[in-house]
Amino acid sequence: MTTLVKPRGLFIGLTLLCLLAIWLSLALGPVSLPLVDTLRAALRLIGLPLAPEGLEQAELILGQIRLPRTLLGLAVGGVLALSGVAMQGLFRNPLADPGLVGVSSGAALGAAIAIVGGSFFGGLPEWFGPYLLSVCAFLGGLGVTALVYRLGRRNGQTHVATMLLAGIALTALAGSAVGLFTYLADDATLRTLTFWNLGSLNGASYARLWPLLIITIGVAVWLPRRAKALNALLLGESEAGHLGIDVERLKRELVFCTALGVGAAVAAAGMIGFVGLVVPHLVRLLAGPDHKVLLPASVLAGASLLLLADLVARLALAPAELPIGIVTAFIGAPFFLYLLLRGRA
Amino acid sequence: MRLKTPVAMLCVGLFLSHQTIAADLPQRWVSAGGALSEWVSALGGQSKLVGVDTTSQHPQSLQTLPSIGYQRSLSAEGILSLRPDILIGTEEMGPPPVLAQVKAAKVKVELFSAQPDLPTLEKNVTHLGQLLGAQAKAAQLLQTYQQQLQAQAARVARVQTTQKAPGVLLLLGHAGGKPLIAGKDTAADWLLQQAGGHNLATHSGYKPFSVESLASLDPEVLVFADRALSGDAAKAALFKENPILNSSRAAKAGRVMELDPTLLVGGLGPRLPAALQTLTDGFYPAKDGQ
Repeated sequence: MTTLVKPRGLFIGLTLLCLLAIWLSLALGPVSLPLVDTLRAALRLIGLPLAPEGLEQAELILGQIRLPRTLLGLAVGGVLALSGVAMQGLFRNPLADPGLVGVSSGAALGAAIAIVGGSFFGGLPEWFGPYLLSVCAFLGGLGVTALVYRLGRRNGQTHVATMLLAGIALTALAGSAVGLFTYLADDATLRTLTFWNLGSLNGASYARLWPLLIITIGVAVWLPRRAKALNALLLGESEAGHLGIDVERLKRELVFCTALGVGAAVAAAGMIGFVGLVVPHLVRLLAGPDHKVLLPASVLAGASLLLLADLVARLALAPAELPIGIVTAFIGAPFFLYLLLRGRA
Repeated sequence: MRLKTPVAMLCVGLFLSHQTIAADLPQRWVSAGGALSEWVSALGGQSKLVGVDTTSQHPQSLQTLPSIGYQRSLSAEGILSLRPDILIGTEEMGPPPVLAQVKAAKVKVELFSAQPDLPTLEKNVTHLGQLLGAQAKAAQLLQTYQQQLQAQAARVARVQTTQKAPGVLLLLGHAGGKPLIAGKDTAADWLLQQAGGHNLATHSGYKPFSVESLASLDPEVLVFADRALSGDAAKAALFKENPILNSSRAAKAGRVMELDPTLLVGGLGPRLPAALQTLTDGFYPAKDGQ
């Protein structure tokens, strides 16, 4: 199969794109900072006192608002795209997305419980309050995925087709539970729930960032080591088995990495659709299906796409802000269609 | 933090002394609460507002100010780009990390309660008056407001000695379709009570209703608040989308009233006494010898 781009060219291009996105994300925002101030503040932030004093405002905006936000965008975009590759590899279907194993709907259910029922958890310690939503979303995602995985297992084997159907059933079940919470919610909590479902990198703070960064790095280091096994799985499960791959272990790892990664991403930034589905597909269209290229390239592409989408989200309506989920789908869907139709012509 | 506090304070101080004439009072205001923005305007501080949220719709001139989005999903950098001295809002304002970031940028963040009762309102308006340097005006506005509400309460008590409180439903809708009925624990319920109406809905919060239960409650007066349309267009849409309403006593007697839905958000606003009076006029027609 011929590819549009050689892997080397693809990596150089994506790295440049990602660096550009990081720079734009740090340099642009509703507050217009002169380029010189941004650079000076950046130097001071990394501990080089070369710049003069008196840049507190620039330093604060760069260090406390834009930098955590950029890191959050990188991690969320990267891990969502990686999980997309993992799911498409597991189901051997390019239309698979992380939602299929129930992690998104589980997280949504967890979030709905936290938002609507939050006041019932009266006895929680004060410091835990702000993290309740994130923790519930993460546990919800992990819980439903674990259930889907359990339902797909029979006689020590994981049946991917059964898992897929179980995922659909549990997604519907979780959806109806979320609907019930929506009904019970009052006006204010309803709006919180709606906005959460559209995702946002707004209000990123380091405290929320670290868990996600650690998980993202873990997943991003682990999954590419299994690229060869994923390539073998493309041939079929028994074929992969004959090639000496422990298929059961691989499946377990893929599901676990996805649940962990998407769960953490959703917990930190809410639901952000389309990245997990489209980014791997896009990279595959450009560079072919080899997972050795696909996995690392998807991380870069996912991170860049999310940062650029976030830039639109915060600048389009400034000083107000769009939920990022609207932007990713709005940019992603037409682009995806274009690629599909171009391939057909 | 490597930020050296004294130096930072000095810089901010220098910065402010260029910006402001009055030494301590905040000059650039951002408001994230509909009723609060109205009070700031009523206290003569409208020219100090540099940005408002999407719930601040009154007075009309506020709509030309930069919008900082919905009060619950504010953006720190967006607010900071307006270079405010103060951000005011109700306890619904958020998300909390954003407020923390705004505070870290030395912007005063003042939270006000949206509780719909008089003591809260008194506290809020007095505090706003202090922040605006308009204490006298605040006291005067509050006094008039209290007098109006007292007169309102007295009027309701008086007519209720001769007339029974009418059964009312309040329908909150969007261009007539699938209205939500206001139940207990809502600003709407409080409003109906103050106006002397008897809210027939007994659930809590705003909930969709089946047409059947709507018909069985058979309200004497219908109050509708429409977010998309107003006036006769809203009324026509409501009855077109919900034909069952035509058979209610309220529709037959033509006792269908409109309420501005922005009155229901963010605590007691300055337009409230007038709205209450209009509602009472509708609830107790003719025999009330006004």
